[in-house]
Amino acid sequence: MSAKAARTLGWCAALALAAAVAALPLYANGYYLALGISVLYFTILATAWAMFSGPTRYISLATVAFFGIGAYTAAVLGETWSWPVVLLAAAVLGALVAAITGLSTLRLSGIYFVIFSFGLAELIRQLVIWYEVNVHKSVGRYLFSAVTQDVLYWQLLGLTALVFLTGFLLGRSRYGLALRAIGADETAASHSGIDATRIKLAVFILSAIFMSVTGAVMAPRWTYIDPSIVFNPMISFQVVIMALLGGAGSLFGPVLGVIPLVLLFEVLTATLPNHFSIVLGAIFVLIVMMLPKGVIGLVAPWSWSIPANGASSAAPVRDESGPLLRVDDASKSFGGLRAVDKVSFEVARGQIVGIIGPNGSGKTTLLNLMSGALVPASGSIRFGGTMIGGLKPYRIARLGLARTFQLVRVMSDLTVAENVAAAALFSAAPAKATSREVLDLVGLAPMHDTPAGELTYIDQKRLELARALALSPQLVLLDEWLAGLNPSELETGISLIAKLRDRGMTIIMVEHVMDAIRALCGHCIVMNAGSVIARGVPDDVLSDPTVVTAYLGGADA
Amino acid sequence: MLLFDIVLPGLVLGGMYALIALGLTLQYGVARVMNLSYGESLIAAAFGALSLYSGLGLSPLVALLLAVPCAAALNWLLYRFLLERLMRRGKDRGAKEIDSILVTFGMLFVIQGIMLVAFGGQYYSYSYLSIPVVVLGTTLAVNRLVALLFAAVIGTAVYLALTRTRIGTAVRAIAVDPGAARLVGIDVPSMSGFAFACGGGLVAIGGVLVSMFLTFNASMGVVFTMKALVVVIMGGVGNVMGALVAGLMLGVVETAVARLVDPGLTLAATYALFLVVLLIKPTGLFGRAAA
Repeated sequence: MSAKAARTLGWCAALALAAAVAALPLYANGYYLALGISVLYFTILATAWAMFSGPTRYISLATVAFFGIGAYTAAVLGETWSWPVVLLAAAVLGALVAAITGLSTLRLSGIYFVIFSFGLAELIRQLVIWYEVNVHKSVGRYLFSAVTQDVLYWQLLGLTALVFLTGFLLGRSRYGLALRAIGADETAASHSGIDATRIKLAVFILSAIFMSVTGAVMAPRWTYIDPSIVFNPMISFQVVIMALLGGAGSLFGPVLGVIPLVLLFEVLTATLPNHFSIVLGAIFVLIVMMLPKGVIGLVAPWSWSIPANGASSAAPVRDESGPLLRVDDASKSFGGLRAVDKVSFEVARGQIVGIIGPNGSGKTTLLNLMSGALVPASGSIRFGGTMIGGLKPYRIARLGLARTFQLVRVMSDLTVAENVAAAALFSAAPAKATSREVLDLVGLAPMHDTPAGELTYIDQKRLELARALALSPQLVLLDEWLAGLNPSELETGISLIAKLRDRGMTIIMVEHVMDAIRALCGHCIVMNAGSVIARGVPDDVLSDPTVVTAYLGGADA
Repeated sequence: MLLFDIVLPGLVLGGMYALIALGLTLQYGVARVMNLSYGESLIAAAFGALSLYSGLGLSPLVALLLAVPCAAALNWLLYRFLLERLMRRGKDRGAKEIDSILVTFGMLFVIQGIMLVAFGGQYYSYSYLSIPVVVLGTTLAVNRLVALLFAAVIGTAVYLALTRTRIGTAVRAIAVDPGAARLVGIDVPSMSGFAFACGGGLVAIGGVLVSMFLTFNASMGVVFTMKALVVVIMGGVGNVMGALVAGLMLGVVETAVARLVDPGLTLAATYALFLVVLLIKPTGLFGRAAA
């Protein structure tokens, strides 16, 4: 059989399956229809859950909060408003609550989000009860609606198609890769021009909308609705189990978990109704212990297509006159320690400037002020005419100022090529280097499909540089990029930096390897205890008595 | 006087919260396990005290002698055979946290399920030392004051053990940096297991004391977990003094809301306080600045 025939056969099978699923209400009896409804609504919930929590690894335990919001919206409005409006209202309310939750917790580290989401359902349940008791004066509500099981099924089916379509498009768009970059290393992602908070928030809201609409669609199934039914924490738990069993890292992973588990729930509720949660809990513990990547992780590592570079929104300011970077009196203190004390300097285009000084003299802090990791307490930093002191890292990166880290930060779950592609996603540079070009430049091209975590130390350093270059930066900050290399690697590293200079790139390098400073830098700045103590041509500066004292201590010490 | 009516019961409640959170400080701060089944363990201990009291007529304060070693042993087994494997598997702190959150999320339902089978869903309470006394014009029950006294004594003991003993210093070293602790000859896995077990013992104390004056049922563990988590994070992870202050704050705020607004909104008050603290000082009241 030819490959073409096989593909046609595959398509036919898929179509037949789709038709069989769509036509289920026409031939299945009530029991199987109910089972179909369970499979569908858990599929939507688990897929929507994985859309956000899979790539970012921000585990949300709040599924039922949004589901319940949707169901309650339907219960309150269902009999007076027309159905599509009710669904819309559920979506809006879910989005609103997600936005509030996300805005307050997604800026913080992941653990706060998890904890907040853990209690969110309980919080909303208590608020609903409070409202019902005090305002509505009765806790339960009846919802009589004309929606039959068949119609409910088809509504869910439509929603399922929509959630898969959304997930598919999201995965293909640059936001999909950006999300995974955030999950792998949020700091590195934001220094690659990714606005982590906004992307997380947007996708979190998107997934919450699906959950609340599902709740609204499901509401007519109960007739009687009260907070303990629709805010049952067990639903959040089931959704997490299903998504993890199937594999939260891929679009179709969660379904693989939904189907067996819905069947298992059926069996369990029939045979062991009282021990349901014990068995479920035990299964869940087993899944986490045995199948960290889910069922789909057993089959094949999912490969994501790298999205085509999106259109640039705004070109960075390219003011050709004057110095590229100008730092004036920048200061930063940690408690009583003045880590950077009134530092001023300029960097002209095409220059390589070295920053040297003993450990703890404030070099990395200075880089952090320039790249946006820290906000200067006073002073100004001007980059190509834009004031960048205090801007968020992703904004600075998009303006064309890229950096590497002293302690290497690669997005270890992503491949080499994806690491580089992630950096190019939101860069606004007019002429973008392709990831192939920058990987060729640093000598990593043969490894572009290797997960970054498997690279050797030197290759990870190369990758960091490639990621910085993918932003098509005007200025690159190298934080001890040459540290820890052996003599031959050092030589390669130095010639690589020289190559970048020849291409017209401006570089600031913090370095302890004096040979490299001598070979590359036309100008260097020496820092000690937060201040600049000398500046000039490397050979002169390195023989300056103040500098020698700073490094080696005074003659009488 | 209204002020005393809020502040005194608030402090009594807050003292309990601080004690409850102490165990989680050890489990999360040191053993790096974000234990979501924490509240369920607490309720399990409360049921244990109830059974001993109503079955054998054993005073809850005597029951502590039994409950604490049992809970510590169970928690040690849990750590040794389940969590330690995850800790070895996790590549970084984030992965460890996520794995431990997921496993303990599963444990939550197991423990809750067992309690539901054994005791059903209804509320339980028993009467022990529920004699009213008047303090500064405010009526308090003796059992609450006894519980507070115990909480204060145990809290102080834990604080001293952590700051004044060799083992305590080792435990604090792990909380700061497990990697570096290993380099100075601390057996990190077994000390982490020890800290986790101690945390389990503390949660049992919390459960027994709470059972003396609170009505509880099998499915209300979530609320205690939430409160313990909020206190730990508000106080700064791994910080005993911070947990104490945060616990007292939470107690007073909740009592004020319950008294002045509506008892149904106490959890909302917890959350609001949590958010305000986090938005102003993301590392907690006494937390170190993030690296």
